[in-house]
Amino acid sequence: MTAKDLSGQDAVVALLGSDRAASRISPGCNGEWYLRVSETEFGPLVTTLASRECALIGLFCTEGFSEGASFSLLYVFEKKSTILVLVRDVEKTASSIARLLPSASWFERECRDGFGLEFEGAFDERRLFLHETYPEGFHPLRKSVRNEPVTMQTSVKPADEYPFRSVCGEGVYQIPVGPVHAGIIEPGHFRFSVIGEKIFNLEIRMFYKHRGIEKLAEGKVPEDVVRIAEAVSGDESVASTVAYCSAVEKIRGTEVPERAWYLRTLLLEMERIGSHLGDQAGMLVDVAFPLGASQFSVIREEVFRMNSHLTGSRFMRGMVVPGGLSKDIPGEQLDELGRFVQQVRKRYRVGLKIVLSTASVLDRFSPTGVIKKTILRPLNITGPMARASGGNGDVRIDHPYGIYDTYVPAIKPLHDGDVLSRFTIKASEIMDSLDLIERLLASMPKGSVKTDPEVKDGYALSLVESARGQDLCWVWIRNGVIERYKVRTASFCNWQAIEHAVQGEIVPDFPLINKSLNLSYAGTDL
Amino acid sequence: MVNSLSCMFKKKVTEDVLLGDEEIEEIGRGLRCEIDRSFGRSLAIRELDTGSDNAAEIEINNLSNPLYDVERFGITFVASPRHADVLLVTGAVTHNMAIAAKKTYDAMPSPKFVVAVGDDACNGGIFAGTYAVLGGADKVFPVDMKIPGNPPTPREILTGLLALMKNTK
Repeated sequence: MTAKDLSGQDAVVALLGSDRAASRISPGCNGEWYLRVSETEFGPLVTTLASRECALIGLFCTEGFSEGASFSLLYVFEKKSTILVLVRDVEKTASSIARLLPSASWFERECRDGFGLEFEGAFDERRLFLHETYPEGFHPLRKSVRNEPVTMQTSVKPADEYPFRSVCGEGVYQIPVGPVHAGIIEPGHFRFSVIGEKIFNLEIRMFYKHRGIEKLAEGKVPEDVVRIAEAVSGDESVASTVAYCSAVEKIRGTEVPERAWYLRTLLLEMERIGSHLGDQAGMLVDVAFPLGASQFSVIREEVFRMNSHLTGSRFMRGMVVPGGLSKDIPGEQLDELGRFVQQVRKRYRVGLKIVLSTASVLDRFSPTGVIKKTILRPLNITGPMARASGGNGDVRIDHPYGIYDTYVPAIKPLHDGDVLSRFTIKASEIMDSLDLIERLLASMPKGSVKTDPEVKDGYALSLVESARGQDLCWVWIRNGVIERYKVRTASFCNWQAIEHAVQGEIVPDFPLINKSLNLSYAGTDL
Repeated sequence: MVNSLSCMFKKKVTEDVLLGDEEIEEIGRGLRCEIDRSFGRSLAIRELDTGSDNAAEIEINNLSNPLYDVERFGITFVASPRHADVLLVTGAVTHNMAIAAKKTYDAMPSPKFVVAVGDDACNGGIFAGTYAVLGGADKVFPVDMKIPGNPPTPREILTGLLALMKNTK
């Protein structure tokens, strides 16, 4: 073990506070630590971790992971650069921890739908990704269930309809919105309880786009799952494949060539720029300021065209593969990218200046849709929206992957947590990404872009900072094929913040707040 | 006075966008002509996402950016299926969206056309035959045109729409 590993171990031991538990921790392939816990240890340990300000960033189930137990629940805790995974073996029921760590609620509901586990003491026992038409007792992620068409119920009886929280009182009325929305956006349902024009309560219902991504990956050779990882969320194709491929590479012990990591980082940052520009343009459309929106959407289209020029795909698909990249990007195209970055920076500054000096824009942006810092850790809110509310987490800094330990991004958190802060933080991230791309181009190493991987079994956890925040991915390869592919995108957790952000705001501000949070439906619904 | 004079003479805040994409203009002129002929000058499109990975939506949204600006050609994206001539469907049809998708189609007045955008909408793509999806859009309503791609580019979407218009009597 290296010195870094040892210091990581010390950090885990300090977190656990119990020597007995600490002596049993074992290192994972990617810097994470695993600890198998008995049922009696589990409760007190989780209480300790919660009191030491650990965030529950993931909780998922897997079958056949421990000998002698049907299912294992993996609880992923994070504190700064330390990742601890508690492995809890269960049969049919487990106690819920959602009251202590609210981010667990959706995770537990997800495990319940997928595997049929019951969580005792959970405050929300409704279905999550399996809607009403799925038959009772159907749990697709169980190994005994084959991935084949299911006979569905063709209609839903009123008594079986999803029970939304009801808010009552004088003058309170409901506005149901979706799943099909008015614009060109993805489907989801929003149930507003409104007094006059003010939003008293919002409850969201997602998972209309549940496509069975995780099940689809099972039984496939790791190389074939790249295409599935790209389909998690289209505008996060690179982040999602980098997360997946990093996990596979760590399991196999593949040394990815340096040039491949430089180019991957370049693609990751191009993806971030494209995503942020799209958000900013959308926010300006929502406040009826097409002058600014047009400028940003023109730059964004040019970014897409540059992506296509560099990789052959506007979404940079088909590039990232286990072991490196599927093809190199020639030097002259990288030179063109350098010139492109320079002129984009200049034009972006002009656009930004116009927007931020327009009173009607600022009036709508501030102080709208405030997310308080206090909900960040309990709900595991990450990414630019957390950094706009005083959060200082960034996977690129806390758990650097590839070359981010050399090219450390700066964090400049803002504290207001409103739409304006989110707009501004995205602007500064775009500028930082442009700078980073130039630095990468200036010191681009030569050499191959792919290492031929060795075939090996194992499991690993990987984290990547996508444009939306922390993407988590856990891969388990058994007998050369994928046994379990768990994805938890930043949006899965971040969606829950919207219910808090809109309280007390007026209904017409909802689209703006929603756009400023930039949440992926596809990445949540899987 | 000075202020309004300076507004008239000072440098413009907007810059000239060089369109210069002759191919798009050519497709656009074709569309304009066909839409004038068969749809009385405007084609109202409603987009319906039945389970895409959001890349196809992004490309459809891009059709409205200043570099394509398809409204010039007579295309409008409408907020309700009741106002729509064409339903652009993206993504394989998931079980969770099946009922909503059918209701959306049923709400459109006739004559109506359905265009499947992207591999998943055309035939279910990588999700075909799995537990969570019914398959392509043609599993829930008749599809008049399929535009394959992962996702198709804005140019390919426009070319597909032009082909649909040409085949419309």
